[in-house]
Amino acid sequence: MNSLAGPFADDLPERPKVLLVDDDEVNLLLTSVALRDQGFAVTEASSGEKAMRVLADWLPDVVVLDALMPGLDGFETCKALRLLPGCESLPVLMLTGLDDDASIAHAYEVGATDFFVKATQWSLLAGRLRYLLRASRTRAELERSKSRLARAQDLARMGSFDWKRGQGGPLYSVEGLRVFGFGPGDQPSFRSLLRMVPEEERSAFLELTHSAMDRSTVLATDIHARLGDGRQRIVHIEAEPEFNEHGNLIGYTGIVQDVTDRRLAEDRIRHLANFDTLTGLPNRRQLIWRAERSLEHGRRLGHQVALLLIDLDRFKIVNDTLGHGAGDELLMEVSRRLRSCVRHSDQVLENSLESVGVRSHRTLEAVGRLGGDEFVALLPEVIDEGDAERVATRILEVMRTPITIGMQECFVTASVGIAIFPRDGQTVADLLRNSDVAMYAAKSAGRNASSLYRPTLAGRGREKLELESALHKAIERNELVLHYQPKIDVRGAKMVGAEALMRWRRHGVLVAPGDFIPLAEETGLIIPLSEWAIREAARQARVWQDNFGFDDSIAVNLPNRLFERTDLVEYIHNAVTTYGVPHRMIELEITETGLMKDLQNVIPALHRLNEIGVEISIDDFGTGYSSLAYLTTLPISELKIDRSFVRDLGMTPQSSAVVTAIIALARSLGLRVIAEGVENLRQMEVLHRLGCGIMQGFLFSKPQAPEDIERWLEQTVLPKKAPWIGQAHEVEVADVPRPLRGRETRLKPPG
Amino acid sequence: MSRALPPPTSLRLVNDEPAIALDPAALQRLRDLDPGGRGRLLERVLEAFESSSTRLAAQLVEARERDDTAGIRLVVHTLKSSSASIGALLLARLCAEIEASLRDGMHADLAGRLDAMLHELQVVLQMVKPMLKGTPPP
Repeated sequence: MNSLAGPFADDLPERPKVLLVDDDEVNLLLTSVALRDQGFAVTEASSGEKAMRVLADWLPDVVVLDALMPGLDGFETCKALRLLPGCESLPVLMLTGLDDDASIAHAYEVGATDFFVKATQWSLLAGRLRYLLRASRTRAELERSKSRLARAQDLARMGSFDWKRGQGGPLYSVEGLRVFGFGPGDQPSFRSLLRMVPEEERSAFLELTHSAMDRSTVLATDIHARLGDGRQRIVHIEAEPEFNEHGNLIGYTGIVQDVTDRRLAEDRIRHLANFDTLTGLPNRRQLIWRAERSLEHGRRLGHQVALLLIDLDRFKIVNDTLGHGAGDELLMEVSRRLRSCVRHSDQVLENSLESVGVRSHRTLEAVGRLGGDEFVALLPEVIDEGDAERVATRILEVMRTPITIGMQECFVTASVGIAIFPRDGQTVADLLRNSDVAMYAAKSAGRNASSLYRPTLAGRGREKLELESALHKAIERNELVLHYQPKIDVRGAKMVGAEALMRWRRHGVLVAPGDFIPLAEETGLIIPLSEWAIREAARQARVWQDNFGFDDSIAVNLPNRLFERTDLVEYIHNAVTTYGVPHRMIELEITETGLMKDLQNVIPALHRLNEIGVEISIDDFGTGYSSLAYLTTLPISELKIDRSFVRDLGMTPQSSAVVTAIIALARSLGLRVIAEGVENLRQMEVLHRLGCGIMQGFLFSKPQAPEDIERWLEQTVLPKKAPWIGQAHEVEVADVPRPLRGRETRLKPPG
Repeated sequence: MSRALPPPTSLRLVNDEPAIALDPAALQRLRDLDPGGRGRLLERVLEAFESSSTRLAAQLVEARERDDTAGIRLVVHTLKSSSASIGALLLARLCAEIEASLRDGMHADLAGRLDAMLHELQVVLQMVKPMLKGTPPP
């Protein structure tokens, strides 16, 4: 038997299952043969009773029933099978006689899907069955899609309605009724629905409805509705007009949808997008939007706009010492206070502005949070900069009261930068940048102040900030290097130590210490920088020790605040231990001014350092006001004569007098003395003659990378090729005072 | 069969054309359903016809004895379609006429009509028999 896949389109099962019921053996045989030939899978039943037994546990795609059969005939069988589960919409084809109108009518009555006149043209029957299957499939799909639609509408809280002109109010689908809180059986009148709308909205809604109907246009609107159970909902209504063949409006068809949740979510999203979650103030996005609108108004109406950038002073300290929770609390309190300084309005959002009128820009006034501890006050209309300054003053005033967080009272001040449109910028970005510049000016002038933007300020604060953040990263990025300047024993023509000087290799260019050390000191970065320098010096000492038997010390400059750290000794200990060099190979230099400024706090550290063998050198000696009494008791080892005296040596008698005095002082206290900034042979000769044999300066070597120092030693010092080497020897021949004694014996002359 | 059947009469169609008990076109349709005769379809159909018509004829006798019009009607109805299927067109028509008149409540000359129908059935069966032995129909 041919199995023809062809006749069936792909929307039908490959071999549709047919239950063929006929008491006539001949027909049963022929029909099933013919149908199999046409690609059906046929199951035969020779009576209605047998058919029912088969259907009890098997479901065909279609049933072909002979109408007249002994026992349970086709009609009874059809009626019975419709009651079986799963057979409710099973396609049933009733076979009747050609001339049997009564049977045909009866067939439909008992639930047959269709009838077919018995004939010997089998292909016709197959075609009819195929049609039946397709129709049944379409119907099943329709049912499915209908129930899906109902489910979707239900999920979307949506329903439909129909309104025909002249037939009373609209008729709602079950889902539509549910939107308004009605049950499937209810038939609410239009009037009762209208009563759900709040009175103040009602007439506007009616007006809208009538005008849509008058003009036969689409109706789309949202209404508020108070349902029978008291729930407040927002219902979206959308309806399209329907026309008859003459083009006359005959009614509307549309949907109703409960959009309450969506609206609330939209409001929430809009709020989240526009307001800072911590403080509830407008966020950066919202502020910029408001500022842009303010500038538009300002431009159009010809008035000035002020932007105040407010940055809390030392907020980081609060965060670091009290924790972020406390920091957040502080920010909230600050927000409350700042808000009281302007006519702050919360409720300005996109598209609500147009209707408010000419002075509507007033509602843009607000305090917002840009992020972190940065706030902005936007004044959409100011008469002059005095207006803005008054607000700034008010801001500084409200910050004056301490803020209590937990049990702690915090004093918080702010620095305010003011930029005015159009004078200080044409765009929001310009104004923000310039208010930032002004704010930095206020900060560097001592904080807790406000400052108006001036073009002369431009570039300073920001540059510094960039430098600061770059410097922060310099250590981890390995951008810092130490250069070394040798300390020379001129008599012996020998390097007797080196001073480490920090350099910053930024973007491949060396930044001089003068360009970043002050900033590092100001920001506190000097601490990690110095710690790094100690480790690096220890490492270099080890390298040199290995490379050429270096056995002297490398001097590292430390700011006095580092000496206050209780862990300094431990830190140095760890550094030298890490690289396996003795403590004495690290020497610390502290300026005379720094030392004297903070003497009481520094002394204990000096003692401890001295105990572990780390020597202390007083830098820039002679420029500060040393207490000679203290000097005698301090555990120091070396005085460095400041370069300014060295520079003037041989030119002014005063300078050589000072140098002589320092040398004498050092000698009597048993301290080494070393001269800095020695640039020529004359200076060297004088110093040597006065009794200072150890020097440092360009005459010998500028500060160099450690490899260059090695090369210099190898190519210049060892072969005694430098001009100063011969000179020093000659100087030595002359009888000069011999200041070196005690400790400096380790600075042995060669040989 | 308890009663002797009347002798076969000469068969005529309504339009007076010479009649044949089995329509060759119908038989050809059956053969077409089973190309090459591999499924022995024709034989199986004729076998089914022989056995069912014999059974129906017996049912008819019983129904006539009981004067069971509905029983008679069911027999002629079934015989009508199965005879049509094998091309026994005259038989099918006779059955259809009896069925129609019974449905319309006209019982006039029912006995004569049934006898004529049964006679035609015999003619058909006689034609069917040789075909069951595998010989082609005349």
